[in-house]
Amino acid sequence: MAQETREGIYDLLAARGVSRRDFLKYCGSVAAMLGLSEMAAPAIAAAVEGGAKLQPAVWLDLGLCTGCTESTAQAGNPNVADIVLDLLSINYMETIMAAAGNQAEEAKAKTIEEGGYILIVEGTVMTGEAGNTLRIAGKTGMEVLKEAASKAAAIVAVGSCAVDGGWVRANPNPAGGKGVKDVAAELGFDKVPIINLPTCPVNPEWIVAVVIDVLMLGALENLAVLNLDELGRPKLIFGQTIHDNCPRRGHFENGEFVKAFGTVEEVKQFCLYEVGCKGPQTFTNCPKVRWNRKASWCVESGSPCIGCGNLNWVDNDAPFLKRMPNVGGVRPETIGTVLGGAAAAGLLVHGVASFSSGRAKGAPVETSKAYDKKKGGDK
Amino acid sequence: VARAVIDPVTRIEGHLRVEVEVESGVVTDAWVSGTLYRGMETILEGRAPADAFYVSQRICGVCPISHGHASTMASEAALGIQIPDGARLVRNIIEGAETLHSHILWFYTLTALDYVDVVSALSANIADTYALAEKAGTSTADFGQVQKRIKTFVEGGQLSIFTNGYWGHSAMKLPAELNLIAVAHYLEALEMQAEAAQIIALMGGKFPHFMTSLPGGTAWMPTEEKLGGILFRWKRVRDWIANTFIPDTLAIAPFYIEAATYGKGCGNFLSWGCFDDASFDPKKRALPRGMIVGGKLEVLAPDVAQVKEYVEHAWYDSPTALNPAQGKTHAKFTTYDTNDKYSWVKAPRLNELPMEVGPLSRMLVAYLDGVPQVKELIDTTLAALGVAGKPEILVSLLGRIAARNLETLYVADEMGKWIMELVAAIKGGEAKFFTESTATDGDGAGLWEAPRGALGHFISVKGGKIANYQAVTPSTWDLSPRDAAGVRGPMEEALIGCPIADVEKPLEALRIVHSFDP
Repeated sequence: MAQETREGIYDLLAARGVSRRDFLKYCGSVAAMLGLSEMAAPAIAAAVEGGAKLQPAVWLDLGLCTGCTESTAQAGNPNVADIVLDLLSINYMETIMAAAGNQAEEAKAKTIEEGGYILIVEGTVMTGEAGNTLRIAGKTGMEVLKEAASKAAAIVAVGSCAVDGGWVRANPNPAGGKGVKDVAAELGFDKVPIINLPTCPVNPEWIVAVVIDVLMLGALENLAVLNLDELGRPKLIFGQTIHDNCPRRGHFENGEFVKAFGTVEEVKQFCLYEVGCKGPQTFTNCPKVRWNRKASWCVESGSPCIGCGNLNWVDNDAPFLKRMPNVGGVRPETIGTVLGGAAAAGLLVHGVASFSSGRAKGAPVETSKAYDKKKGGDK
Repeated sequence: VARAVIDPVTRIEGHLRVEVEVESGVVTDAWVSGTLYRGMETILEGRAPADAFYVSQRICGVCPISHGHASTMASEAALGIQIPDGARLVRNIIEGAETLHSHILWFYTLTALDYVDVVSALSANIADTYALAEKAGTSTADFGQVQKRIKTFVEGGQLSIFTNGYWGHSAMKLPAELNLIAVAHYLEALEMQAEAAQIIALMGGKFPHFMTSLPGGTAWMPTEEKLGGILFRWKRVRDWIANTFIPDTLAIAPFYIEAATYGKGCGNFLSWGCFDDASFDPKKRALPRGMIVGGKLEVLAPDVAQVKEYVEHAWYDSPTALNPAQGKTHAKFTTYDTNDKYSWVKAPRLNELPMEVGPLSRMLVAYLDGVPQVKELIDTTLAALGVAGKPEILVSLLGRIAARNLETLYVADEMGKWIMELVAAIKGGEAKFFTESTATDGDGAGLWEAPRGALGHFISVKGGKIANYQAVTPSTWDLSPRDAAGVRGPMEEALIGCPIADVEKPLEALRIVHSFDP
């Protein structure tokens, strides 16, 4: 089948042996991602247009641990083979590409020259030692980013490191870590749209959602499709706190807490707030999307959230096993009894100021929500 | 004399440059350069020991479990915490799942493209492919469909991650049918590595970067639902390793048998050991602690006090020859110069010797130590390859690959036992998973193994905060530059003698590099 005769992405996939049923499954996973009912899948399918050829992409590794690539390899539906064979033409991706050295660099140079590619950036922008804390093919990582970013149709910063420097920029930031957005003006690519997907590592389902937005909903032509917040994050993914959607939320309301690890309270799946959970200040949809093909997620397996999706997350959220600072003197043992839901509601927006300022220095308290005002249950 | 440079080395974790000198088609000298510095150890200073469990995993997104465990063990050693037996089993299962995940991903996704010609698979005869799979005793797939998928892909003209691969290179030796089998299993392996990772997610919340093996034990408490999910996935992955991964290895090896004659390396091997039994004695681990020196096949006891890290050829201005327990890391880039400083990797030495670490080291130590299952696996494999009774042949490029693949099956089988032990402990109602501690001061080391080799985390805690932190990773050992005496690191040494057919496309050197799973 010649490429010119392909009508849209479904035809493209059909030519590659993907059945209509599998295609609707893709659409279903996108719907779930966006927080919609799976019933929305046909509507998403109907929105499909364009897609005469595979969307070219360049995946750049900066100061990274490769965890975001690893995480991407855990995507379920589509899986990583579907992504690299059937959805995108990823012409450069150090961790999985066949070519190395000069052959790899050639593939990247050709893609950049042709333009129109999505640039996916993983890892921290390394500015320390005049950029030499990262060297690739004899250049600094900053030079490599500048070349690849300036001609990109859009940039997707995957993982907290690419978003704002991640753990690498934590105090005292010995290697000069920064986020992609932080250097956009300095390196001259501030006109290129940047989509930020934080957390450490990135959740692959979010990458898939953005890719599908680009391929099916024409996001490159109409960025409004992505519905980004002021930090460049898709609102449908990063618009609510973990606490908002946590399956253990009922225990928080009831004042039922895990007070120590390895105890019966964990078996009962009580709330992890008292052992340091940062769910109330962390804006991601982890409880809905979960991780590793929905096998589990942090809280489900007994761990407090460490807020890895927050800006400067290591400085703002550590010590991870301590109750959050600056929450207006709230003591969890009183939540659900005396103070009831009003104090709990105060926690809901604790993270907003941390996000905006990049530092946790306390936060204003939101007016309480009606549903939080109910009396607490028994312990 | 020609110089060949591979920069970036792809299909690895992180950033690496390899430069080799080639004379008459053979490598005569080599320089391995780590090209990224992030400063993890400095960032951890002043933080709570438990925070290091979470943050230090971010050293490596392919082996975060091992870093998390080494960090937690260092804190536990420093603070005098003994974890309960239930936590030991949970950690072994999580660590085992990472090993399966990592080795499967390494063989099929990272290294196979050095040996398997994807484009050649297009000319495979489908009936012959089924016959070959049966003869090799490896699993079949819908080979016709796989070939069709690759054909459509190639004819589309956009090769994605296969762009500019080494297709048709003279060092590619497999027949088209075996290439097609390998491509089909490359696709299956992507599912299997994910399934192994799901075992980690069930117990640890997610992978990579898990959440639960805190100093003191584990935050995860087993539930019937999660145990069922673990057992089901373990069984499927284990059977795939036995019925696909191992037979594939044995089918491919004879076409590259000359790889048993080079890539030997420094001949010194170190294993800190991995997978504790109930005694917590490192010599009794499923993969025991030990070292081998100068290629002499006997196991000696390594002393961590004899480890020193040299920085004469690395971009640091902190003091050289420090033991990691007192180690310092202060970056100072000069310029890339193979005669002077050329890497962000320090040069660790044990008893002043470079040490190769990884599955080959672990399996040699276990074999010579007489671990029965390992002895049987290796002896059977040597016999199948026609070199019965010659374990020394494992000290080579081919041996390094075979050791990793055989270790995958060994660990998978041991995992089954740990899962059943955990179930029995829960049934007995005695299982404990966490030990509380209020200790605030002490020094300790966590000496463990990542899938790619010996790993040590070193912590000093004062007043409940980290006063000093150092990690010596497998890559620090294997990718080490020269030391103060000018002695090459293990990978540099392994590159010597490697044949290179085309200096513009030094595929054979890439194979040596990948055999270490850097």
